[in-house]
This record gives sequence, structure tokens and C-alpha cells, in this order.
Amino acid sequence: MKNSWTGGEIARQADQGGELAVAVHRCEPGAFERLIDRFERPLFTYAHGILQNAFDAQEVVQDAMMRAHKALTRQYDEERCAALAVRPWLFRTVRNLCLNKRRSKRSALEESLESFDDGRLGPFVSLEGSELERKEEVELLRRAMALLPVDARELIVLRFMEEMSYAEIAKTVGQSEAALRGKVFRSLKLLRDALESKGVAYAM
Amino acid sequence: MQCRNVLTRIDALRTRELAPIERTAVEAHLRTCRSCDASQDDVEQLVHAVKSLALVPPVSCKDECMDAVADSFDRVGDVWVAFTKDRIRMIRAAESIDDIRQPYAKKYGRVLEQGTIPATLRRQVVAAVEGEGVDTPKVDLESANDLEHDVLQTLTRIPRGEVRTYAWVARQVGRPRAVRAVANVIARNVVPYVVPCHRVVPSSGGIGNYIFGSATKRALLSREGVDVDQLDALAKEHVRYIGSKTTHIFCFPTCRDAKRIQDKNRMPFRDADDALESGYRPCRHCQPVAA
Repeated sequence: MKNSWTGGEIARQADQGGELAVAVHRCEPGAFERLIDRFERPLFTYAHGILQNAFDAQEVVQDAMMRAHKALTRQYDEERCAALAVRPWLFRTVRNLCLNKRRSKRSALEESLESFDDGRLGPFVSLEGSELERKEEVELLRRAMALLPVDARELIVLRFMEEMSYAEIAKTVGQSEAALRGKVFRSLKLLRDALESKGVAYAM
Repeated sequence: MQCRNVLTRIDALRTRELAPIERTAVEAHLRTCRSCDASQDDVEQLVHAVKSLALVPPVSCKDECMDAVADSFDRVGDVWVAFTKDRIRMIRAAESIDDIRQPYAKKYGRVLEQGTIPATLRRQVVAAVEGEGVDTPKVDLESANDLEHDVLQTLTRIPRGEVRTYAWVARQVGRPRAVRAVANVIARNVVPYVVPCHRVVPSSGGIGNYIFGSATKRALLSREGVDVDQLDALAKEHVRYIGSKTTHIFCFPTCRDAKRIQDKNRMPFRDADDALESGYRPCRHCQPVAA
């Protein structure tokens, strides 16, 4: 299957947000709600990708939204808001908060990861399968993801679920695009290996 | 181009993020290398599968976030009032909603939504706008610094029907030399009427400026019983205080004690030192000189 989106679309997506940031800065009615609507789910997926815990992820996202609001309304002037690349900025905020949280409860996290992989589910099923099969497939993928190191999970979320450009990921995680290309590929490979250990084969 | 360099670029090729020269090289390689070409399909498939992992938070943080950043406002007569549960936070003349939204955003960085003002707060605002006194205004001074806090508190002690000078307020808050700073605080008062900043006038005489204009200030003061024409007349004569020949006490001209002095006993003074030298003492009510 060929992907339909183009570089132009990525660039347009990246541009979104500057106007929204200015609207939030001016406290326009509904502006902050729009910011939450636009970013809450992706940020939650990202935070969950790092933390592997819905409760913590939710807390982090809320904290990040409040910080964003404070920064946009109290700390940044209008010019800075207009020039802001909102998506990488928000994701970076969530990332930092997640890493802080993770640092403070690392031992507990590693424990939960080991118990995660109980191998109860069968082999990978095709995309055209029934609803139940599809659910199992998603669950299998989720478990495979949980087996990956945190930086691989994070890149997979940013690149393939949030569909960020390499330039945006570079801004979010603070690494060069060239390095990220290699890391993204290795992350995919790790995911493939994790799936393979559960009986799903990819050539790659 | 070698296979390992091609593999790390397959994903960027997919989204057309490669420079033209790299793209040409990668595409040329893929045409000849079967294993890399197969990897390309796998990447596509894996990428597609991963998209199904997007999550939705069990509970949206929206309500809590909005509660944390939004306050309410309501119309009371001719003014907008922004308020929290039990405090008045801002009052502005009600014309366009932006008249309160914008200054509120600037001052507090928060959104305003239409709401219903609690009855106690409404009563206070009505009383204040009508020119009746509000003894203990439920005003939010939390975001005020020490000076602002003291100045606004002092303003609430100026009785209805009287005026004080900016210099007097500065002395009352223990910053006699900071008249300009105090005047700035008064000018920035976010809750006019309720904190009666209109009862402060320049020492040099006259009415001075007001957030809703000098004319409004004049009208407000005369409605409260201040004889503004007399204030103008005294200013022309450079008279700042009125003494009583019988009690040898001197006051601000609008002090309730000064108003009781009979015309034949009125003794005008241009400054406090004159009065003190003539054997007069400052009034304890209006405190024309620091006690």
C-alpha cells in the first residue's frame, strides 16, 4: 500500500499552531480549548509511549497543557507566539515531563515491563481479518511496543503515529535529522524483532 | 549507495523528505537491489500497522484545564464584572465584551466566560456603582504586590462624600515620597467603584484623571455629595486645607468635620506648615498630616 501524504502536507501540518498560539496568547474565547482538542490525544499517545502508564500519561499531558497556557499567556510576547512551532514545542514539553517522571520512578517501571510479556496471544493476523482478530493484532503490536527501549518507542510514536517530519522530530528530541533517520530505522527493526519473537515475520 | 545507507533513507523517501540528489540515488538502488526493495514494502506495512496504536485518554483534561484558566463575567447594570467564586476581580464599563476580556487577559492571562455573578457580589457592585459605600469589598487582591495591596486597602477607607490626595495615600501606606508610584497603582485599579479610586485627587487641586474620564469622576463625586465646584474654587486660590477658628483644627476641605465649620470660622491654609505654625493641629479623622 502506498502512502498518500506528501512533503507539502507535512510542511503544512507543521505550520499549524502559530495562529492558535497567538489566539491563546490573546485569551480569545475557545482558543485554549481548540489547542487541547488538537493536541490532547497525540500528546497522550506520546506520553503513554514513553511511560507505558495511562494514569501518569494523563497527568503529564494536563501538566503540559497548563504550562503551555502559562507560557503563551504570561511569558511569551505575541511575536514569539506567532513564530512558535507549536507541535514540537508541546511534544518537547511532554517529553521532558515524562523523562522527569520516569527518572523518579524508574525501578517500578522496569518491573512492570517484564511482567508485561506473558505471550498469551497467538500469531499476527492479516489486516483484512475480523474485528476480533484486528483487536488481537493491535494488542499484539502494543505488547511488542512495550518490549522496546523507551527511545525506540518514542520515535515510532512521533514518526509513524503523529507523522512528524524529521525536521520536527529533530526539534522535539534535540538530535540531528541524519542521526534520527538511522535511529528511526533501527527502532522499526527492533519492533519487527519484537513481533518476530511472537511469531510475526518481516523481512526488512 | 550501499544497502545500509539506503535502508535508513527508505522512510524519508516515503514522505519525500530526501534531497533530490539522495532521492535519485536511493531510487536507483531500489531498482537493482531486491532485498532493499522488499524492505521498503515491509516498512510500509509496519508503519501502517503502527498507526492503529493511537490512544485516547480515558478522561479528557479539558474540563480541569479550562477550570484552571477561565473565570466568569457578568453584566451588572452598566458594568462588566469579572469574578471568581467569592471575589470580584475586575470591573469595566460595559460596551463591547472586549472591554473586559482584553484587559483581563492582559492583567491575569485568563479567559473569561459568561456566567452568573453570586448575589452577594452583585449587591456589592450595585451599591458601589450607585455610590453607596461598600464596607468590606470582596475584592481579589491576591495577585497584588505589597504596595498595591496597601494602597487599595487605604482607598477603601476614604469615606463617601470626601476626597483625599495622592500624597495623602502615599503617606498612609508609609511611602510618603513614592507619590508617583502610588498614583500609578491607583490608576491601575482593576475594580473601580468598589475600591473607590475616584475619591483621590491631585494635591495641586482640581479633579484629576479617571479610568472612565474626568467628567465621569466629577459626576460620581458630586453624586456622593462632594462639592466639586468648591474644590475648583479652592484650587484656584491654592487653598489645600480648611481650619476652624474655634477648635484650631485643620482638615481637608471635604472632611466631614470641615463641612460643619461655619463660614465665619473658616480659616483657609495653603500648606500644612502654615497651619501648624499658626497653632492649628491636624484633624484626627482626615489626617491632613501624618499622625
